[in-house]
Amino acid sequence: MMEKSWEPKILAFLCNWCSYAGADLAGTSRIQYPSNIRVIRVPCSGRINPLFILKALQSGVDGVLVSGCHPGDCHYLSGNYIGRRKSATLKCFLEFLGIEGGRVQFSWVSAAEGVKFSRVVQEVTEEVKKLGPLKKFKKSSWFGVQSSEKENE
Amino acid sequence: MIQQKLREIAKELLMKKEVDLIIGFGEGTLPLRATPIFVRDPEEAERIIWNSFCENNLATYLHKFDRFKVGLIVKGCDARSVVALNLEKRFKNNPPFLIGVPCQRMVDRRKVKKAVKGEILKALEEDDRIIVEGEGFRVILKRDDFLYTSCQVCTHRTPVQANVLVDQPVEELPLVESHPDMDQFESKSLEERWKFFENEASRCIRCYACREACPMCYCRECFVDSSRPKWIEKGLSPSDLTFYHMVRAYHQSGRCSGCGSCERACPMEIRLNYLTQKLNRDAKELFGFEVGINPDGPPPLSTFETEDKQDFIK
Amino acid sequence: MKFKLEKRDFKPFLQSLIDGYDLYAPVHLAEGVPVYRKMGRPDEVDLSLLNPQKSLKEVFFPQDEVMFRYEKVDQETQMVSTEEVKRERVVLGARPCDIEAISIIEEVFSGREYTDIYFLNKRKATTIIGMACHQPLPTCFCSSTGGGPFVRKGSDLFLIDLGEAYLVEILTEKGEAFKKNKFFKKTSAKNLQLAKELEEKASKKTDSTIPVKGIDQKLDQWVESPFWDRVHEKCISCRVCTYLCPTCHCFDIMDEALNEKGQRVRNWDSCLSEFYTLETSGHNPRATCRERTRQRLMHKFNYFPKIFDRIACVGCGRCILYCPVNFDIREVIKEINAK
Repeated sequence: MMEKSWEPKILAFLCNWCSYAGADLAGTSRIQYPSNIRVIRVPCSGRINPLFILKALQSGVDGVLVSGCHPGDCHYLSGNYIGRRKSATLKCFLEFLGIEGGRVQFSWVSAAEGVKFSRVVQEVTEEVKKLGPLKKFKKSSWFGVQSSEKENE
Repeated sequence: MIQQKLREIAKELLMKKEVDLIIGFGEGTLPLRATPIFVRDPEEAERIIWNSFCENNLATYLHKFDRFKVGLIVKGCDARSVVALNLEKRFKNNPPFLIGVPCQRMVDRRKVKKAVKGEILKALEEDDRIIVEGEGFRVILKRDDFLYTSCQVCTHRTPVQANVLVDQPVEELPLVESHPDMDQFESKSLEERWKFFENEASRCIRCYACREACPMCYCRECFVDSSRPKWIEKGLSPSDLTFYHMVRAYHQSGRCSGCGSCERACPMEIRLNYLTQKLNRDAKELFGFEVGINPDGPPPLSTFETEDKQDFIK
Repeated sequence: MKFKLEKRDFKPFLQSLIDGYDLYAPVHLAEGVPVYRKMGRPDEVDLSLLNPQKSLKEVFFPQDEVMFRYEKVDQETQMVSTEEVKRERVVLGARPCDIEAISIIEEVFSGREYTDIYFLNKRKATTIIGMACHQPLPTCFCSSTGGGPFVRKGSDLFLIDLGEAYLVEILTEKGEAFKKNKFFKKTSAKNLQLAKELEEKASKKTDSTIPVKGIDQKLDQWVESPFWDRVHEKCISCRVCTYLCPTCHCFDIMDEALNEKGQRVRNWDSCLSEFYTLETSGHNPRATCRERTRQRLMHKFNYFPKIFDRIACVGCGRCILYCPVNFDIREVIKEINAK
């Protein structure tokens, strides 16, 4: 049987007003970008609770991308500024703990930047692919009769 | 003498009915321990003591007694916790009366226990010495060799905010950005760091003593109790244990005063300070914010500067 | 039946147990923190601490226990229960207080109407090798609660540390299965004499003055006493005492599931949690620390004795040693007795 080379799973949180629209533009312009990302639309990049990112990593995605409006352009005026602080804190902390920085990435993509969106996705996918599948922190086995016994037993 | 002054102030406050109760320290029932006491009668003020075993952060009781006017005995770190709580407008209607004690740094009872062979039956503090006695031994230890790590690097031993100070402010250490536990951790490689963190967290029994001992953890519903959405299971899988510690530390960013109560409360001796100190350092470097110093500044994660660092953003 | 086990044979003896059984003993996790785990190698054993923080109940009533697993494969749901104990087990290094505590938990789990097969199957399949306490801690008050540092009740085999060797006493039928172990040698009169002396010495060291006798009757009138208004003050509801207590046995059952597969899990719970008694309506009968502290003490010293004729405390002292705020149950008992 031919072994398919491993493809990373990347979760992308896109803010509704800018980044999601930018992704949409990339689609309508028929710009190709890797299909590794799965998109979750949020109202604003400031909505991102670090728990989302951690839960995503625990559930088995190999990388997370959070994208919002450029500073000054937030639909809610200052949401992305707050989000920027949270993102900076979380990224520094995760790297400190030993989770590779390349797995949690951030970008500003406006509604007109379809090209930039696809470029960002391309970059993030490549970087995560280089890092390999996330083994640490992931909730392994995760029940089921067919899966392995829990570690502690 | 600090102890005498504390008793006098407590007695006066209670007699004048300026406070409903005084929260301070009394004699513990074990060697090397002091225990929180709650004094309501002026006569009971004689139970108040002060020594190098007063390791708890009493600010955590403010949440339990938030319906009373409280006179709280605070060390430097405790006072910073209260300032941090004030920033969050926690005690807007009922601010505590702070009796500040410039802290001589607290003794790490676990370090002392490990330094002697045999069970300690009695411990005495005399000036700069700790004398421990057990069956067939009597050892005199230099107090300064057995301080908590968080106390060794403390730069705010004098309470930054207090209604009354019982002693002269002490000479502070020059501002030092590092913490030995954190530095040692940071010097490791990425893989080693994760391994260390996971190994420490693997002992965790999810008792949440760290959370309850912390004055900054007062959410009505903690993220671990949330069932919709369920962020984290209640079991002991390594993934959940690291998740819990990661998030609890993250929720302290810009709020933790470095008192070390979490580490001191943990029955499994898990190291926790290096996590919160990292976040404090980041708050300082990224946002110029230091916990508990500025009583007016907004909490760092609830505000922004247009020029915030964003070189990590594509 | 008494034998001698030389200290130099101790690790090979452990290996002989590992070869034939699932051996549970305190295993070194970090300095000063051993935990009862299944041993893989004799080197892992850690008897440095008199009593590990996490008590013996971990072996019979694990903190995080899967009850069954299920998975939908095609249209059928497969289910695998975990109640079966596949291999006989041996526990080594258990102290008399912890062993007594297991019998207290057993009262509840082998109850009159319901039995807990997860606990009972483990209990039935386990041989307990108890260990005497030579140096009880100042916080040990097992002799006040009806126990003692050399009490053999509940042990199938009992080890007494004589210095160069252990004295091994085989006490029950289960223990007799080990009498042919190649490391068990003949004892001498000197060994037996030394053991007796050690027993006398140790028995004087535990605190027999804690007035637990009759406390259950005293507390009958105390449910609404103003005593509880002050007792709870320093407690921060951190739950350390309940998790480390060898007799506490509350648990919570949850389902962990993802799409078509999952498992039912039992985790320890604590009556000191704020949400322990939170009802769906939003009402919480034990909303404050006062009610919860009262509940814990009344349960141990009044409600439990009313049903099972014994107090639910073995005097191990863990709650005193590890409480972050030095809440001392001995002081509370003395106060209750004095009133």
